[in-house]
Amino acid sequence: MKKRIFKPYFSVAFSFLLFLSIFYSFPFMVKAQENNYDLDHINSSLEEEGVLTVGMEANYAPFNWSQTSPADGAVEIDNSPGEYANGYDVQMAAQLAEELGLDLKIIKLEWDGLPPALESGMIDVIIAGMSPTPERKREIAFSDSYYESDMVLVVNKDSKYAEATSLADFDGARVTAQLNTFHYELIDQIPNVTQQTAMESFPTMISSVLSDKTDAYVSEKPGALAAVASNSDLTFVAFDEGQGFETDNVDTSVAVGLRLDSPLIDPINNALATISQETRDQLMEEMVDLNEQGESEGFWSDVRNIWTTYGHQFLVGARNTIIIAFISTLVGFIIGLLIAIYRTIPINRKHKPVTYIFYKILEFFIIAYIEIFRGTPMMVQAMMIFYGSKLFFNIDLSAMIAALIIVSINTGAYLTEVIRGGIIGVDPGQLEAAKAIGMTHFQSMTTVVLPQAIRNTLPALGNEFVVNIKDTSVLNVIAVTELFFITRSAAGSTYKTFQTFFIAAVLYFVMTFIATRLLILLEKYMGGAASYTMHKSSTTMPTNIKKGN
Amino acid sequence: MNEVILEVQHLEKKFGENIVLKDINFQVRAGEVISIIGSSGSGKSTLLRCLNLLEEPTNGNILYRDHSILDGDFSPTEYRTKIGMVFQQFNLFKNMNALKNCTIGQVKILDRSKGEAEKIALENLEKVGMEPYIDARPHHLSGGQQQRVAIARALSMNPDILLFDEPTSALDPETVGEVLETMRLLAEKGLTMVVVTHEMAFARDVSSRIMFMDEGVIVESGPPEQVINHPEHERTKSFLKRYLTESTVH
Repeated sequence: MKKRIFKPYFSVAFSFLLFLSIFYSFPFMVKAQENNYDLDHINSSLEEEGVLTVGMEANYAPFNWSQTSPADGAVEIDNSPGEYANGYDVQMAAQLAEELGLDLKIIKLEWDGLPPALESGMIDVIIAGMSPTPERKREIAFSDSYYESDMVLVVNKDSKYAEATSLADFDGARVTAQLNTFHYELIDQIPNVTQQTAMESFPTMISSVLSDKTDAYVSEKPGALAAVASNSDLTFVAFDEGQGFETDNVDTSVAVGLRLDSPLIDPINNALATISQETRDQLMEEMVDLNEQGESEGFWSDVRNIWTTYGHQFLVGARNTIIIAFISTLVGFIIGLLIAIYRTIPINRKHKPVTYIFYKILEFFIIAYIEIFRGTPMMVQAMMIFYGSKLFFNIDLSAMIAALIIVSINTGAYLTEVIRGGIIGVDPGQLEAAKAIGMTHFQSMTTVVLPQAIRNTLPALGNEFVVNIKDTSVLNVIAVTELFFITRSAAGSTYKTFQTFFIAAVLYFVMTFIATRLLILLEKYMGGAASYTMHKSSTTMPTNIKKGN
Repeated sequence: MNEVILEVQHLEKKFGENIVLKDINFQVRAGEVISIIGSSGSGKSTLLRCLNLLEEPTNGNILYRDHSILDGDFSPTEYRTKIGMVFQQFNLFKNMNALKNCTIGQVKILDRSKGEAEKIALENLEKVGMEPYIDARPHHLSGGQQQRVAIARALSMNPDILLFDEPTSALDPETVGEVLETMRLLAEKGLTMVVVTHEMAFARDVSSRIMFMDEGVIVESGPPEQVINHPEHERTKSFLKRYLTESTVH
């Protein structure tokens, strides 16, 4: 099914982790052992005893989606309370867990976050509509397939392609497919095709077909069933043997992903063997029906419905986004302030040579910190810190704590330079005047220079806060339930992308707008009163004084 | 003769290889008003800045009441409270109003209570005629007004000596008078002052002594009458001639 390629930023982080893990795991490779089926052995490989921890996206209907009630056998998502996962994957996971005598725990993760989460032991298995491609098999072990599907083309019901029966009937059509999937490579098999740019998600492709920008998109049958179920203007074209796409079996099947040496492989394969093809097809149809969202009732009505269903989740996401942005900007500001003060300390090389050397060494680390964190994307840092801490130090950071740490140190690296600029921007005469009345360096900085420097940096600080509100969206790779993560879930589960992202856009805008207004007020307050009161003089002034202003 | 507050001995200052002060020797006695004159780049301001250690002398010594201020165990911050400084660019703390400018040093460094500090600040603001402007921030005030607040700020620390670094050079001509008048009043009250200035009339009328500097050395030093009206050295004569014809004496 999904054969999405890991994106470049992930590859960088992941190959680095892998590189480290080679060194780390080398001494332990010797104890690779025969699989056996005893429960103790299974348990020893589980993150939590007696619990099968499953990772999935929960936004890839009908395989997995998120809903806000536990109806229809949905399972609560462990890292996003109040959100429930359902779909073919979830039902499969439930059957496997039952067969193995384990409890089931679902962790919602971004697609690219799934392999490192598995690698680091944060989850035990991936059940996320993932195809066992050769590339993936190098890093992940796969069970036998638990679903196989045909490739179809989704089209507008009224278009001339709706009656097509073979690929030849799509001669000259405009066709697209999902980015980083093998679907996109299949388009070449259509004669004279106009291959359009690949798109990020199924909901965007649906929108594109509905608005006649695209004639057809490539999909597996379950995805097509779900799309048609929620959009009566769509239909899909399935092909008879030999008339449709030629595919590799690997591409159209999905399997459970496991760690390479996992003792769970055989037990899972045994459990899968007990589920017949018929049962699987039936389960898939049930799930497609369940996910049916009903007809679109017009834009505003859709928005209202999405808000009624997911409103609470959206607000939780928005709250988390604000919390992360606010605390991180504040902590980052304090980091920046401390470093900026440190870097202004005058140390005389001649008078205090030892102090000077220590000063320079610490300064080197500070510069390294600034350069590294400014020079790498926050998403990569998130991956490294969140999964790296688990993989190498076995520190189980909660996603929220990891998010706060990552955004804080990232913001700190940026603000250090901003505040240093603010300090440089303060007239040197101010520092001289402070020294001239006998202030120490520390007193001069805290009472005279920094208040002015901070006032100067407030616009940049406000900017950073707004940037942080928006940039927390990249933290969905470590499954922080911030606003963007929630939005992706809702969009993937309802297939109403535009409506869902419209809600997200409004929420983001409201947050950044309010934040900006509050900062302008703060700036005004720190700028001091615009006017002043004249006090009556009790004395006569020197004779020839002329009043200014 | 009054007691010697500052004594400068063989002072030398280099910036890199560039010698800006050479073998400077003089004393400042209590109650004296010393004006330092000379063309730009002659080292006047550098000398003044060495006196309160904003610049570190390269060689020689400065004694404050017989203690060397260049000794390792001498606290420069404590010393600076005794030696006030008024800058060409005023350098009032921009984040504070006039009153706070005059109290912050007293509270932070002299450990005076806020009430006591405000009382002293008000007295000094009154002396310079800026008492009505205690709530004003520096950007509300004209250059002359800012400079008078800066003088009050320095006075509030009860310094032994007040150093003035070209206090009227950055002012509009129309506000120069109010600052010079304030300084004249302070001199009359017996404040010890060292003034780097281009105001020849002020130097002549208010100083007890004038030092003429050129190329990093004190060329001539003596009572105003002598230095201005009967200079002995050629360099002094040519400076005064050039200066008195080129610029207006206030």
